[in-house]
Amino acid sequence: MILSQSRTGPARFSAALALVAAVLTVAVVAGPIAQLWAGAPTGGYDPARILFLHAELPRLAMAVLCGAALSASGAILQQVLRNPLAAPTTLGIDAGARLALALATLFAPALFGFGRDLVAIAGSAASTLIVFMLVRRNFSAVSLILAGLVVSLYCGALSAILIMIKDRYLVSLFIWGAGSLAQQSWQPTIDLAMRLAVLVVPAWLLVRPLSLLELGDASVASLGLNVTRIRIGAIGLAVLLAGFVTSAVGVIGFIGLVAPILARLAGARQFCERLVWSSIIGALLLLATDCAVTLLSGVSAEFLPTGAVTAIFGSPLLLFLLPRLRASVRPPFEASVPQAVARFSPALRLALCVSLALSLVAVLFLGRDASGAWQILPPDAWAEILPWRAPRLIAAAAAGAMVAVAGFILQRLTGNEMASPEVLGVSAGAAFAFALSLFIFDDLGLLGESLVTSLGGLAVLVAIIFYARRTGFSPETILLAGIALNALLDAFVGVLAAGGDPRAFILVDWMGGSTQGLTMADAIPVAIAALVLVAASLPVLRWLAILPLGDRQAAALGVPLAYARPCLLVLAALLTAAATPIIGPLTFVGLMAPHVVRMLGIRRPLPTLLVAALAGAAIMAVADFLARTIAFPYQLPTGLVAALVGAPVLLILLGRRGSTS
Amino acid sequence: MVIGRRALLGGIAATAATIRTARATMLPAAGPRIASLDYALTETLLALGHPPIAQTAASDWDEWVVEPALPVGVADLGSSLQVNFERLVLLEPDLILTTDYVARQEMALARIAPVERLTIYQEGTDPLQRARDVTRTLAERTGRQDAADAFLEEIDATFSACARRLAALSLPPVYLVAFMDTRHARIFGRHGLYQSVLDRLGVTNAYEGETNYWGFATVGVETLATARDVRLFAFEPLPPTLMQTLGASPLWRQLPFVKAGQVTVLPPTLMFGALPSAMRFAELLTDALAGPAARSADGAPA
Repeated sequence: MILSQSRTGPARFSAALALVAAVLTVAVVAGPIAQLWAGAPTGGYDPARILFLHAELPRLAMAVLCGAALSASGAILQQVLRNPLAAPTTLGIDAGARLALALATLFAPALFGFGRDLVAIAGSAASTLIVFMLVRRNFSAVSLILAGLVVSLYCGALSAILIMIKDRYLVSLFIWGAGSLAQQSWQPTIDLAMRLAVLVVPAWLLVRPLSLLELGDASVASLGLNVTRIRIGAIGLAVLLAGFVTSAVGVIGFIGLVAPILARLAGARQFCERLVWSSIIGALLLLATDCAVTLLSGVSAEFLPTGAVTAIFGSPLLLFLLPRLRASVRPPFEASVPQAVARFSPALRLALCVSLALSLVAVLFLGRDASGAWQILPPDAWAEILPWRAPRLIAAAAAGAMVAVAGFILQRLTGNEMASPEVLGVSAGAAFAFALSLFIFDDLGLLGESLVTSLGGLAVLVAIIFYARRTGFSPETILLAGIALNALLDAFVGVLAAGGDPRAFILVDWMGGSTQGLTMADAIPVAIAALVLVAASLPVLRWLAILPLGDRQAAALGVPLAYARPCLLVLAALLTAAATPIIGPLTFVGLMAPHVVRMLGIRRPLPTLLVAALAGAAIMAVADFLARTIAFPYQLPTGLVAALVGAPVLLILLGRRGSTS
Repeated sequence: MVIGRRALLGGIAATAATIRTARATMLPAAGPRIASLDYALTETLLALGHPPIAQTAASDWDEWVVEPALPVGVADLGSSLQVNFERLVLLEPDLILTTDYVARQEMALARIAPVERLTIYQEGTDPLQRARDVTRTLAERTGRQDAADAFLEEIDATFSACARRLAALSLPPVYLVAFMDTRHARIFGRHGLYQSVLDRLGVTNAYEGETNYWGFATVGVETLATARDVRLFAFEPLPPTLMQTLGASPLWRQLPFVKAGQVTVLPPTLMFGALPSAMRFAELLTDALAGPAARSADGAPA
């Protein structure tokens, strides 16, 4: 009974989906077929026939192949990680391939065929490896997806920096990052089909061991199978499936997440069923989406890349799926903020803090002269140069301190060391507001921009509070809502940029976090905001010290959870909203600074908060200095430079965690 | 001697443009010191014989504009969306030129020198007409009205000459594209500079679809298949491996203009340019359509 139900469920669902896909496909191909039927026009050349045979048909086939491959990849990942949110998009597999191919476009432009595939797969493998290194043993659903998101955002930031420096050259990267399925030949489809065909064998071999994983690792091991080897093999297979697709057409977001979930919801219980039905559903889903995109692009002049469209529809689905995630089987959510380890003597600690503070002042006087030569700013040039250098430094440092404190609060609040303002969604809201203002108003001025972006951030905050209230401000709900919003923002920027709209460059530029051209009148309010908001964090220090102990202990120790959580959330959001207009939404300083503090071995709440702020300020100050000098005369976006410089540091810090905890 | 020969061998562009450039390679001894954030405004200044002292992304000039050449002494201000203010303030400009695209920096720029915004590409305007207006404005600012008169006459004469050369021929419509990668291209149409020039030359654009207000649409390469009797002009720089990939595509090989060998690669021409780019494009296109002009000194097109 159950068996038959579970078989017909996905079948019925797929049939319905197939009907939709068929209708859309007919709408796309009916015209050309009718023309073919009517016979070739005189004159020999028949564009309808050519287009149908060499553009439309391979495009449909490509959509089917890509949808199936990505969904199979997602189904395998969800099975092996026992994580219903795992997919090539959410684990940063796509983003790694995208960055690797961006680098290849810049440094080895002549790559194609297998060379391209190798680059894409190397990138995917590297980003996947980094995600797993970040989470280490904490394979809980949220931690893994959070690490995936952070790696995705980071890869995106790096690609953006490449595009900003070499702007016009790399417009194609935008198209490619947004995943267009346009075809002019069967060759790419045939190439992809052959690569995927090879993967069918290992996939088939892995079905049984992967199904057994549901019984638990011990029972698999008792059957004489090596669990670790199965896991690595399965993840490797998923990376290959996604990597080949990304290399062929670009990033098609979220199909690999949505299709396996639909298969599961439709009633596919066993892994084998889920794998097969996921592939079928994914193929149909992408086919239907792509036909809809084709039909739409017939009526509008805008270039709509299919991959960005799937991401726009797929990312809000994360929000929808949250309530279902609670019921599903998953490892318990562990509070994993490790305790500080006293590794440094107090004297050394003090020296490090002082040098952080000194670096804030030192970078003010280091720079390049008009000819580009390095110099320590001579006193006679102070009057001319300092009015440019000081405000940006002050604003960057103040903003850095604010996101650092926001990150500190969020990590304590959520009990997750990968939590940071970037993933809260507030900065994504600010970025959305900025994008809208670009299209609605001609020119807002800095003040207007700050206002609009802060409003955007606050709007998201209000939405998150309303949304999170239903789940009692559960930390993971907040984080996942932020992830969904960030993914949506990424897709939105993708659509804009792929069409070549120059305003997309302004948006990417703003997202990079430029501190250029600020005046003291801009910087001082930021500094005041930093002082006020950091001071406002002092009364809640006790909560922050207690919350990581867990809900029960916190309540027992007298923390009013129902009241404390929204309070801390609002505080973190205000800090983020005040900082984002200055340094952009993608710095990762909020993620890094608390880890720096932990590495310094500081435990008591007050010093922790203050040193986190100091570390955030120092990281941003150094980033500001590098942004202004390393590519002289080119000025890099400060926020992105902070991400660029800070992320490897973060990886090292997180890597050392294993040896200390 | 050697330089003179090189200029002559420079290919199809080595015509009147070279002479204009030679005239403009000296930084101005008198008049305002201008910093420009836009290639189109700078090429107009060059045509007026009053080069700027500083230019954003000066190092990429030869990649995208080529002619008129940017004088050697022009300081590079970095990216146009992230002007290097510290460098600019030390250069002490008298006037800074901006467009809508870089307008977010105007408040900061105004701390250094007066700012004037001259946007050629706007919603609902003809870029060629706007470029003429901008030429007049810049002539006023630099006190080179005479040069502007001469230049505008030269422009009109060039357009007329090109139109005359083309009038005698029965020309197919043209596609103007810039390939983005091996599968996508920007195709130029209404609202753009190229379209205005095509109108002046009496050449039909085969692409009649919608475009944004910069005058292009991003399309899949297969979109080009619908037209029958057209010539295709692709602007450099071409993406690497483009010709290999297209050559292997049956769709591309069967396109009538590919079969008939009616595909021409044109040297880079600034797509968001002003009158000098319009003239450069007109001459390049006319030479390609009608064969090199008789006035060409070297007589050997590239």
